[in-house]
Amino acid sequence: MTDTVAETLQEDLDQAQVLRTAAGSRRRRYLAVVLGWLVFIGLWWLLSLWVGSEARLPSPGRVFQEIVTILQEDFWAQFWASIVRVFAGFLVAILIGTPLGFLMGRSKYWSNFLQSPVVVAGSIPGLTYAVMAFVVFGISFWGPVLAVGLISMPYVAINVAEGVHGVDRRLVDMSTAYGRNESQVFRHVVVPSVLPFVFAGVRLSFSLAWKVGTLTEVFGSSKGIGFQIRRNYQLFNMPAVIAWVLLFVLFMLLLERFVLVRLERRLFRWRQWERDR
Amino acid sequence: MTAAPVALQESTESPGRFRRWLTSPTGAQVTAAVVFIGAWQLLTLIAPRVPSPASVVNFLYVEITGGSHGGIVTGEFFEHFAITLRRFSLGLLIGFVAGVLVGILIGLSGLARALLNDTVLVLLTMPAFVWAFLTTMWFGIAWQAPVLTVALSAFPFVAVNVAQGTRAITPELKHMSTAFEVGRSKQFRHLIVPAIAGYIFAGLRFAIIIGWNGILLSEWFSGQAGVGFRTRYWFDANRYRGFVGWVIVFIVFIVVVDRVILNRLQKRAFRWRDQSDVDFIQVEEGQVGL
Repeated sequence: MTDTVAETLQEDLDQAQVLRTAAGSRRRRYLAVVLGWLVFIGLWWLLSLWVGSEARLPSPGRVFQEIVTILQEDFWAQFWASIVRVFAGFLVAILIGTPLGFLMGRSKYWSNFLQSPVVVAGSIPGLTYAVMAFVVFGISFWGPVLAVGLISMPYVAINVAEGVHGVDRRLVDMSTAYGRNESQVFRHVVVPSVLPFVFAGVRLSFSLAWKVGTLTEVFGSSKGIGFQIRRNYQLFNMPAVIAWVLLFVLFMLLLERFVLVRLERRLFRWRQWERDR
Repeated sequence: MTAAPVALQESTESPGRFRRWLTSPTGAQVTAAVVFIGAWQLLTLIAPRVPSPASVVNFLYVEITGGSHGGIVTGEFFEHFAITLRRFSLGLLIGFVAGVLVGILIGLSGLARALLNDTVLVLLTMPAFVWAFLTTMWFGIAWQAPVLTVALSAFPFVAVNVAQGTRAITPELKHMSTAFEVGRSKQFRHLIVPAIAGYIFAGLRFAIIIGWNGILLSEWFSGQAGVGFRTRYWFDANRYRGFVGWVIVFIVFIVVVDRVILNRLQKRAFRWRDQSDVDFIQVEEGQVGL
């Protein structure tokens, strides 16, 4: 009896010890991350001192000032303009890519037919899409939408094709056996199992699509983050260029981390292996 | 499907065999190419500004053989291509070596990971055209700008891939080799290198795709020579057949290098592995998000 009590006590103590070291190592890791940022900013600051020219490399403090000004002025309007375009582009990619993916997943012939075009479309440099969108639409809302749509489409198509392959045959057979007709099977079996793959396609192309979207704004737009970067570049306003770039990077990382990853987890909740990872 | 009747007209004998060929994988791919060129030709009828396939082929012929484009402009294919290739390889080398070193460091040491991880993430998120702008502001219109653009845009992708591979090394193997007193350099050669070779290769492929986009952008915005510059040259001159011709050149280049050469090499080099392993690496590759 006393033995077991002592054992449990010992176990508790061990666990506490483990927890304490875990907390300690976590604290140390946070410290290292903060240190990493300090080192990064410190190096940047030293480099800017050494360069000694604001037009070439402004100091972190100067860029921070610029960021504050931009945030007070029109950041949200510009950022919103870019967001709307990119998401409209994703919609275009889904509308084109999903049917293509279905074709590829369902039939061997169409899979062969579409394979090379999709692969080639996936390796075309973003510059091509940006310039093409500019040629077709000029300075317009639709340029970035087209570019984002084209660049994300192959990812959506490939993922949907994979998803269609992965639809559980047995579920389909069972539904048919119980007298469900084709459209019911499609709606209640095929669509729910493919939907996450549509999303995965968008997610895979997410950062690439944003880059191409902003690049298209550099060419043909009168609004958006890409346009702001280009305008300040042409004015030789280096602090503003870097400030806009950093804001872009920051929001991209936040969007990806907090919105996309969570959404993905929700959508893939039902899949065992995703949970195990 | 739309091209099938067109193609059928070409065949006069043994329709049965032809039909079978048409539905074979090669047949499907050829049909796809025919449909594409047909659609392109159709587009030129609707939108006269779009250059026809024939005019683009003609342009490329003149450009490659160094003939006259009319007026004083002559074809300059190899001049520009060689310049770009030289800058591209140099930039790639710098970015790749730096990426492998930093990636191993991040993968092996927790401290390095905490210190460097966020910086690499930030670099990963930077669009390549930003590097093109910044390097132009730093170096002006000079060879350093495209080289550095390639290096800076390729570096984080290599680092992330290699770091992932290094972290995936099974700790048991590492402990065991330490327990059996295998030397550090021997561990490195026989444990770490084989384990991360696949990731390094995936990183290299990534670096090539990303770097190619980077050098085109850099040359487009601030080059005086090179593939990107020449593409822009024809674009600015309103000669869209020249623009489309060069676009085809740089797309063909990257598709051949990535899909034909590197893909085969990767499959050959990692034959000894499970196919699922290789697929896994490619999935991971995709998750980096280009």
